[in-house]
Amino acid sequence: MAKLLLIEDDAETAGDVLDDLRGRGHEVVWTATGPDGARAARDGGWGAIILDRMLPGRDGLSVLQDLRRDGDRTPALVLSALGDVDERIRGLRAGGDDYLAKPFALAELAARIEALLRRPVDSRETVLHVGNLAIDLIAGTGRRGARDLELLPRELKLLEYLMRRPGQIVTRAMLFEEVWNYRFTPKSNLIDVHVGRLRRKLEAGGEPPLIHSVRGTGFTLTPDG
Amino acid sequence: MVDRLRSADLFRSTAIRWALGIALWSLLLALAMFAFVYWQTADYLREELAETLRLEVRAAAADPGVAATRVDTWIAMDVHATHYGGLFAPDGTRRAGNLGALPARLARDGDAYRVSATVDLAGRSLQDEIWAAALALADGSTVVIAHDTDEIDRVKATILRALGLGLVPTLALSALGGLLLTSRARRRLAATEAAVAEVMRGDLGKRLPVGPGDDEFDRLTRTVNRMLDEIEHLMGEVRSVGDAVAHDLRTPLTRLRARLERTRSQARTVAEFHEAIDQGLVWIDQTLAMVTAVLRIGEMEDGRRRGAFTRVDLGEVAAVAVEFHAPLAEEKDIDLALAAPDGPHPVHGDRDLCFEALSNLLDNALKFTPPGGRVAVGLQRTEAAIVVTVADTGPGLPPGERSQVFHRFYRAEAARQTPGHGLGLSLVAAIADLHGAPVAIRDAAGGGCHVELRFPHAEAEAGPRTARSAPSITSGPSSP
Repeated sequence: MAKLLLIEDDAETAGDVLDDLRGRGHEVVWTATGPDGARAARDGGWGAIILDRMLPGRDGLSVLQDLRRDGDRTPALVLSALGDVDERIRGLRAGGDDYLAKPFALAELAARIEALLRRPVDSRETVLHVGNLAIDLIAGTGRRGARDLELLPRELKLLEYLMRRPGQIVTRAMLFEEVWNYRFTPKSNLIDVHVGRLRRKLEAGGEPPLIHSVRGTGFTLTPDG
Repeated sequence: MVDRLRSADLFRSTAIRWALGIALWSLLLALAMFAFVYWQTADYLREELAETLRLEVRAAAADPGVAATRVDTWIAMDVHATHYGGLFAPDGTRRAGNLGALPARLARDGDAYRVSATVDLAGRSLQDEIWAAALALADGSTVVIAHDTDEIDRVKATILRALGLGLVPTLALSALGGLLLTSRARRRLAATEAAVAEVMRGDLGKRLPVGPGDDEFDRLTRTVNRMLDEIEHLMGEVRSVGDAVAHDLRTPLTRLRARLERTRSQARTVAEFHEAIDQGLVWIDQTLAMVTAVLRIGEMEDGRRRGAFTRVDLGEVAAVAVEFHAPLAEEKDIDLALAAPDGPHPVHGDRDLCFEALSNLLDNALKFTPPGGRVAVGLQRTEAAIVVTVADTGPGLPPGERSQVFHRFYRAEAARQTPGHGLGLSLVAAIADLHGAPVAIRDAAGGGCHVELRFPHAEAEAGPRTARSAPSITSGPSSP
């Protein structure tokens, strides 16, 4: 599907990530040190780069900074062990497009890579359609087929996020960051409760489901048929 | 350390150095005094003799006719042959007396001088040091009256010897005094060192011996003891947190292990394996969440996150948090409401952490409030602070447990059955402390729990705070 570069010094982690991403159909190249990673990244042609913050030989962020200075805009996801608080801010400032703290679920990484690979094409569009579902962001209204949907502002936002990424798996953490705009891991299953309510509204007329749960990962909105 | 004091390093010990110093100083004082006494005595003796000589020479010169007789009388006055004298003609020939010749360079002014002269003694001619006074007579001759210096020299030597002999006991006494004075300090130092050595070996309960007085040493010892109290307290806290972490981690891990073992031997279908794996993942996520929470609390107690503080509108945070929890409240048939005045509620802080704190409080309130109950979130702007309150109609907390709920891993006995890792409120406490916001917990009007966080206004919160975590938690009686 996509050609990915993984720069990660820990062989265990790298092995798991490689297996998982290859299992999902990606072509992944692995380098274990900063200088090797920098060289590989410079070769170009990558769909996305996953790089660890701490690398032997050279810091991951400096590799990324150099890449950005040369005008390379390849989407990059920064991995880092938890510990330093403004790690994430630094990661994003250095040119990272997303950030994931270790330990992470492989499904979370895969979903975020997917999101980076398939960035919403045009975010200026204000009327979105998926199957027979349509929402108007300006008017704040939604319709499923001929049926009007009564959506709360947050539900509209949630639906918008899902509809801009049809068929793509989004994780709970991604939803929480993008829809509620806060960053932390809620302990309870509150995201599920919110999605469940939205789902009930979408299927109130007995229509087939649009939002599907992905076991152990999150949700995906797929047009029926 | 203690042993070393007694052996080779004796002279490096402060006490010994002090004793030596004191001894040396008293020795110097004694020497100075002795020198003064010696000088005064010698001076007196010399002056006495000089006066005698001056009188004698004047008497002898008063009447030139009897000058020779006076000289002889002066010489004869003394049986020890210490008196000298002479009458010399203008050409230098001796007319009377026992001086061999007129001493050269002796001023003839009647005053006494110490000179070297040749004396005739028992028929022999000797060179000797003498004190002599000379006067010229009217006929040009010179009369000299002199005295041996031996006597004064002997007295001086005697005094010197006496003083020298006196020095030995003085030195001994002052050294002894110094030792006595410093040995007390040395004993206290040794006792303190022994105690410190025991603390260093791991006996944190050991304290330094404190004297009854209030000198610098006692004060220092008391301060060190207070420091040891604090260290012991902290160590205890760390140990109990460690125990709690280990205990709470062991539970899901034990379950996981049992489940894996059972599945391996009993599961037949792929579905059964999948089910076991899914359950295992849930338990692992629980333990990971716990570890993450512990790390985050530690990180916050570090205070580094304060560097990323910005202006945060607590009104917006509270609104989103309440909205976020609304479906859960609805499902449990709990009335969740936010009461806040219009306008922004700015504080200086971390937006995500504020949300997390409020979210944890809401989570907790919703967990313990029975269906049909009410959870009220309030926001007030007071002179000193922006006050966030979360009140529920749950069972409330006994006063004794109020401050404990904010400690890591504490869970009220009644809550043992409820899921959760017992770190939610510890995180709240850590976040509140990071923001300089005291946490108060008391009975709500309806009998439930009332938690209050007082955030300083955005402008007020300037420099870093000094107080650390736990002390900012207070508990009080029922709110009015």
